[in-house]
Amino acid sequence: MKSLALGASLLAIASAVNAAELGAVDEPIKLAINEWTGQHVSTYIAGGMLEAAGYKVEYVTAGYMNMYQAMAEGEIHGAMEIWESNVSEQFGQLAAEGKVVELSDLGLEAREGIAYPAHVADICPGLPAWEALKDCAMQFATAETIPMGRLVDYPADWGTPGADRATALELPLKAVPAGSEGALITEIRASTEKKSPLLITFWQPHWAMSAYDLQWVALPAGEAACYEDASWGPNPNATSDCDFLPARIFKAGWPGIEDKWPAAFEILTNYKLSTEDQQPMMGAVDVDGNPVEEVVAEWMAANEAAWKPVVDAAIQ
Amino acid sequence: MPQNSETKSLPWGLTPGAFAAWAAALLGLACILLTPVFPWLVKWPAALTLPMTDWIGSVVGWFLSVLKPAARLFSAGLGYPMLWANWLLTATPWPLVIGVVTAIGWYLGGLRMAALGLGGLSFVLASGYWIESMNTLALVAVSVPLALMAGLSIGILAYEFPRVKKPVQGLLDVMQTVPTFAYLTPLLFLFGFGPVVGLIASAIYAAPPMARNVLLGLERVEDDIKDAAVMSGGTRRQQLFLIEIPAAATQIMVGVNQCLMAALSMVIIAAVIGGFNDIGWEVLLTMRKAQFGQSFLAGLVIVVFAMVIDRMSGALAMERRRYDLRVIGLLMAVALLFTLLMGSSLPNPSDYAAFDPTAAVVDRALGDFTAEYGLALDQLKNTILFYVMLPLRIGLDNAVLPFTWGFMWTPAMSMIFLAVAATGGVALFLTGRRVAGAVLLLLAVTVETGVAELPWAFVIGGAGLVGWVSGGRKLALFAASMLALILVSGLWDRALLSLYLSGVSVLACTAVGGATGLLCAVSPAAWRVVRPICDMLQTIPLFVFLIPVLMFFQIGEFSAFLAICAYAVVPMIRYTRHGLINTPEEMLEAAVSSGATGWQIMREVRAPYAVPTILLGLNQTILYAFSMLVIAALIGTTGLGQSIYLALGKGDVGLGLGAGAAMAILALVADRLVQGFAEEKRRALGL
Repeated sequence: MKSLALGASLLAIASAVNAAELGAVDEPIKLAINEWTGQHVSTYIAGGMLEAAGYKVEYVTAGYMNMYQAMAEGEIHGAMEIWESNVSEQFGQLAAEGKVVELSDLGLEAREGIAYPAHVADICPGLPAWEALKDCAMQFATAETIPMGRLVDYPADWGTPGADRATALELPLKAVPAGSEGALITEIRASTEKKSPLLITFWQPHWAMSAYDLQWVALPAGEAACYEDASWGPNPNATSDCDFLPARIFKAGWPGIEDKWPAAFEILTNYKLSTEDQQPMMGAVDVDGNPVEEVVAEWMAANEAAWKPVVDAAIQ
Repeated sequence: MPQNSETKSLPWGLTPGAFAAWAAALLGLACILLTPVFPWLVKWPAALTLPMTDWIGSVVGWFLSVLKPAARLFSAGLGYPMLWANWLLTATPWPLVIGVVTAIGWYLGGLRMAALGLGGLSFVLASGYWIESMNTLALVAVSVPLALMAGLSIGILAYEFPRVKKPVQGLLDVMQTVPTFAYLTPLLFLFGFGPVVGLIASAIYAAPPMARNVLLGLERVEDDIKDAAVMSGGTRRQQLFLIEIPAAATQIMVGVNQCLMAALSMVIIAAVIGGFNDIGWEVLLTMRKAQFGQSFLAGLVIVVFAMVIDRMSGALAMERRRYDLRVIGLLMAVALLFTLLMGSSLPNPSDYAAFDPTAAVVDRALGDFTAEYGLALDQLKNTILFYVMLPLRIGLDNAVLPFTWGFMWTPAMSMIFLAVAATGGVALFLTGRRVAGAVLLLLAVTVETGVAELPWAFVIGGAGLVGWVSGGRKLALFAASMLALILVSGLWDRALLSLYLSGVSVLACTAVGGATGLLCAVSPAAWRVVRPICDMLQTIPLFVFLIPVLMFFQIGEFSAFLAICAYAVVPMIRYTRHGLINTPEEMLEAAVSSGATGWQIMREVRAPYAVPTILLGLNQTILYAFSMLVIAALIGTTGLGQSIYLALGKGDVGLGLGAGAAMAILALVADRLVQGFAEEKRRALGL
């Protein structure tokens, strides 16, 4: 649990920032809306800040995996929540060519790991300690994985972090890749309804963490050394025998923003959002069913101190 | 059937079918026995694999950069009609839109159609998805004319120049079988981001049915009409546009109808790209949250659209009576008056949510069902996996283990198993059932090794032999060389996995769909229940079904198998029923007068007569199963479908197109083989 002091929402790094020109205020700045709610929250707050500065903002729905070509061509100007752990190769290529540009970290504290719904602790009593999985792996076995336990992994195009860990930690688990995020959520939901065993590679902030009461398996703490030095960690012969390194979540955009809308560039670069602020808003949207625009507008009205300084520093 | 000159030379007076079946079976047996000595019979050596996906990537990449400026101009041009259609549909107050659709319904089909239009759009309004639906409609409204024009030109071209007919038909096949996801990356690169790409993708998919029907219609124009056109003078163009095309109008209208339905079914693909707040995007968002009720509701909106569009455009293809035009005036007046009276107090269509409680109930029910029957469902899944799917995939030698079947399969058992099968096969051969004997041996070979581990020589040789029986030397060459192309491209393993998954599904669909079709042919009451289910399965975005299937059976092949079956079973049901009930009257009368009972007529008269139609249904089932493979990859299957998604994520043009082409090859080879048999049967029946 984070202390309340750390929960102080948006951090304005206003010190080193100078006021900038507004630029082409008549042309809308296009922000990408991807497929998940947390991203919608992050994007609408950024949009609200730009509007407060006097810009027009247009929200464009875009597939997360293949929006970067459009960004390189200036058809999308900014994407507010890109996960380093799950970014398409195209982004790397275009960024290296200077056709898209990173705009600093968003400030969300992401965590990835191997998770299980709370009821699974009854099935495998040693949890959350990872060593418990050595003995109760068979509890997680299914027709496809026998004689090993089953670990649901990320979709194949996000990489195979679950499988890597199971191998490195010498756990008798076989990783089964999901096909999509929908498939991951459905697994969690089905397991909760049926009270059946489940181990799944997952991440937060995500609304499902609280909605389904997911717990993390306590793996050996993740350190950079673990990924470089095989002798580090419980398995002396393998790297990645530890927890995930914290994933970076950042903003990126079209390189032309800096010239076309200088103040907007400053705002987007300095914009920060904390997990503690984002999570309740996600809940208000996904669990209570409120429209994301309203939830964000309410939050912005009530927490002006959290974002106004960034806008003011850029335009005054 | 091959020509006589080929059959004459066969040993022991074998029929070509029996000869090919035995040749394939012996080839398979030889491959199995030799594999321990020559492992390259199963695993194609990596040294001989050509980096074809890389080649495709660089060649296509070069082409794309040459075409890009022109394509961008085109897409900028298309952006305008898109914008206008969108503006027109979303800015028009909803009572007016409903009024216009109802009026069109009245004009096309009187009270029934008018009621359908009114009821359908009211449902959309009440669901709260009005704006999203109008965006979707705008997409269809622009992509369909594009597809119609393309289809019409292609059809006329193929009709006017018989020499290009064959290549054109090949092109149409490719357009319909290469999965759209496979070429999304190049399309995005060419046409830029946004709804225009979805529009073009849906036009590519929707144009072939139009082209086919135009060609068919023109070819069916009767000769005396053509002669009359020639005699009345006039240029060729005048003959074509003034006489022949109008004469083919009915068939062309069937094409229009098919084109509309195909465009609508691509809506969800357009949503994957994004750039557009449409109903498909809504389905994707709810699916991501595993909310079955809500995504089902959004899917139903698409079904309602499909129904309205299908029935109304279907009416275009029929002779119809004139309906009173004054009613149209009246309807419009009412709609206008309503809009004006309500004025600014007209409720925002997005505020309606009449079905949200229902959606929540459906969602809850799904959860409760899973909780209640979870164990039974698991047992069902395990039984089918252990005893059917796993042996077919990895063979008895790997699937039979102490914790699945209760004992360990040994190499000795393999030998005994094959020996028994071979003896049985020979016994059947000697007692006159020559084909059956070979089929027994073929099945034994397949089950023993598993489809995913079949020796490539056996697969390619077998396909060539089946092609030879079905369509002669040319087809044999086509089937074998196409499969060989996949082999050397390095996609072979994945292709076999895809082949296995779609093969199991087609088998299940044939059994279940055939039985259901038979039941529906016998009992009209059953058909009344089955028909709307078939309609829904064909038009609802398939993503919706992934949720319940996953809830019940979790990530894995079994779920993918069920999802594929849900879609691919429909043509089998439809064609089986259609074939069985459409026996010519005189044949039935002859049977009845000779004293045959109901079941005898079914078995001796109706069933043989229906074989070509049922084979056509099988053909469609195969194509549907292949097209579902990509969607099934969202569950988490391996094989070509997964490669296409991987390529989409990486922006790898070569891999995407290569895997797409491999999938199209599998589908086309299967299609040609089955069609060859259907053609032969039809000829034998004198049709």
